Amino acid sequence: MEISRRDILRATAAGAVIAGTSGLPTNLFAASNKTVKIGMNIPMTGDYAPWGLPGLYGCEIVAKDLNAAGGVKIGGDNYNIEMVAFDHAYDTEKAVQGYKKLVLEDDVKMVMMLGGSTVASVLPWAQRKKMLTTTLLPSDITTKSDYLIATCESHPLYNVTGVEWLAKNFPNAKTAAIVTNNDAEYGLQSAATYKAAFEVEGIDVIDVNLHGFDITDFAPIVSSVLAKKPDIFCMATSFYVTPLMEQLYHQGFKGKIISCTLDYYDEIIAKTSEEFVNGTIFQFPDFDDPALNDKGVNFPNPGDFDAKFRKDHPNDWSAVSWEYPAILLNWIEGAKQAGSVEPTKVLKALKSNKNPEFVFGGGQWWGSQLWGQDNSVVGRWPVVVVENGKARIKEFRSVSSWLAKNKKVLIKHMKELGLRTV
Amino acid sequence: MELILQFIINGLIQGGFFALFAVGLVLIFGVMSVVNFAHGELVMIGAYTIWLLHAQNGFGFIPAIFVAVMLVTIIGLLMERFLFRPTRDDPLAGLICSIGVLFILQVVATLVGGDGPSKQVPPPFHGTLVLFDFLRIPYQRIFSLVVSVGALSLLWYFLTRTKLGWALRAVALDREAAALQGININRISMIAIGVGGALAGLAGALMAPLTNINPHMGHNVIITAFIVTIVGGVGSLSGAVLAAVLYALFHTFVTVYFGGTVATICGLILMVVVLIVKPTGIMGVRVSE
Repeated sequence: MEISRRDILRATAAGAVIAGTSGLPTNLFAASNKTVKIGMNIPMTGDYAPWGLPGLYGCEIVAKDLNAAGGVKIGGDNYNIEMVAFDHAYDTEKAVQGYKKLVLEDDVKMVMMLGGSTVASVLPWAQRKKMLTTTLLPSDITTKSDYLIATCESHPLYNVTGVEWLAKNFPNAKTAAIVTNNDAEYGLQSAATYKAAFEVEGIDVIDVNLHGFDITDFAPIVSSVLAKKPDIFCMATSFYVTPLMEQLYHQGFKGKIISCTLDYYDEIIAKTSEEFVNGTIFQFPDFDDPALNDKGVNFPNPGDFDAKFRKDHPNDWSAVSWEYPAILLNWIEGAKQAGSVEPTKVLKALKSNKNPEFVFGGGQWWGSQLWGQDNSVVGRWPVVVVENGKARIKEFRSVSSWLAKNKKVLIKHMKELGLRTV
Repeated sequence: MELILQFIINGLIQGGFFALFAVGLVLIFGVMSVVNFAHGELVMIGAYTIWLLHAQNGFGFIPAIFVAVMLVTIIGLLMERFLFRPTRDDPLAGLICSIGVLFILQVVATLVGGDGPSKQVPPPFHGTLVLFDFLRIPYQRIFSLVVSVGALSLLWYFLTRTKLGWALRAVALDREAAALQGININRISMIAIGVGGALAGLAGALMAPLTNINPHMGHNVIITAFIVTIVGGVGSLSGAVLAAVLYALFHTFVTVYFGGTVATICGLILMVVVLIVKPTGIMGVRVSE
């Protein structure tokens, strides 16, 4: 049977009419697109799952929207984005298996990871394969990790903005106590950054209380810290914010609270009170925040994204919900610029941009003075405060400006805590 | 002074939890000679039940506690009937079975609760009791302490004032002699694991509003339970209760004055020292070969 060009046009028009009237997804028309697979080698189960799974959900929303709009034009071809995830449950052995599976079997063009020991375990292989890999922890970057970048979260450098804001708005707060878990990947990095930020602001750190991951009762820790009567209680941890906040509430803490994250703060309010949680300073906004309409923010329709996420996954929003999608958007910009989806070309294009499209704007490559390579993007970061039971951005402040002035203080505190610097 | 009183109160409340789950472990070991590695997961199931019924579906907290206790008791009974009884003559087989149950219960909890963050249970008893203007005790913790002391008192009454309790202690002392006296070992084993499971379920239910609930929370519980059991004297119920309170006070003291990291290390060192210096523990009895 012969099919003429006119038949194809007629069939296409008929299809468009049917789709328009029956509500069929528009991405049916992107069926002729090529597909590029993006890998996520993340924890989706276990203790670290809150920093993996919500990111996959976020990426799926972004990919679905892009595909529905006809895909992404890269180098003359239209591509649909397909997310391929592997659950390594924050186990290094599984992380290596997952990485190889994603690269060799799924042929992904980038692998997004959380960071820490799971990234360290895949780095030698990633280096050999020249596979573009991303982390949320720039401290994973070494002089030998040419293909590892951190384009979104620069944990924990952004914490300096919260301390700056606190010092400016509450000048009478002069002493701080830091509580965190004692691991080098998250806790100590964060503690060193907070110590540096407090020193820069002239705030005395009167206690750094480190604990392991086996703590089931935070009452003694909080009693011990509050006995030193700090003006500021600083949580450089993320795992135990809820029980710590609960103890602060019960033990009658009246000072300022600053935390790296405040994931699931509605649960904290349910365990304490809205009045108590109001005023808590942290670093990760909800995406229905009107401040994200600021022209410097590089995330399309944040409010729409927030609504879709909470509709599909009502109880799963966490700090990483928007971070992996932001990295995905960075990759798309790089691929468009490179005119290719090939990892080395995308990386080269990304690195050639001196002002990369950082999620909150003002991005620049940084890191050689601390970790040996400028493979981390730092820029503006929001200071978020709970007001009337809702997280609201108070101000965007520049991490890069702070680092330009104070990197020596940061390096000093990192060395004091035995952390790796170049 | 304020800090000392606060740490004593915190330590006593912790001791109540420790005693609940350690006594259950000791009871099961004493009667059945099985080291139940899944005991921490029984506590976890108790906590998950509270999360599911009370936090997610609006059940009253007290009825949810009863359901948690019943559920964990039933799990314990099933473990005895289908795992520990058939492997009674081989303690290693019982231990391996309990490790299998440990993983199964973790997976069940993940299936029920889903992946993602630790579960939180809003405390049913809000507010804080303030004594002398400085001593602050949340009502939720007071409730937990009262229930723990009540449950342990009931256990003490059961073991010392009832025929079943005497039979249970007799089996723990010498299973063969007890059997020769006409005591039904199967029945007593069921009671031992039932009581042990009930106490674990109760401990999990009481801890639920005070801690992060996740499928792996039993790991910390079982380590603490082992330390308490060894320090108290393996097989000694009164030793377990005493060791639970002393260890909780010790752990809280070290946490307050030297930090949580040091407290963890000290707890494990304490266990090793007791094993070397006094292997029978505080109240254990040396058994001749």
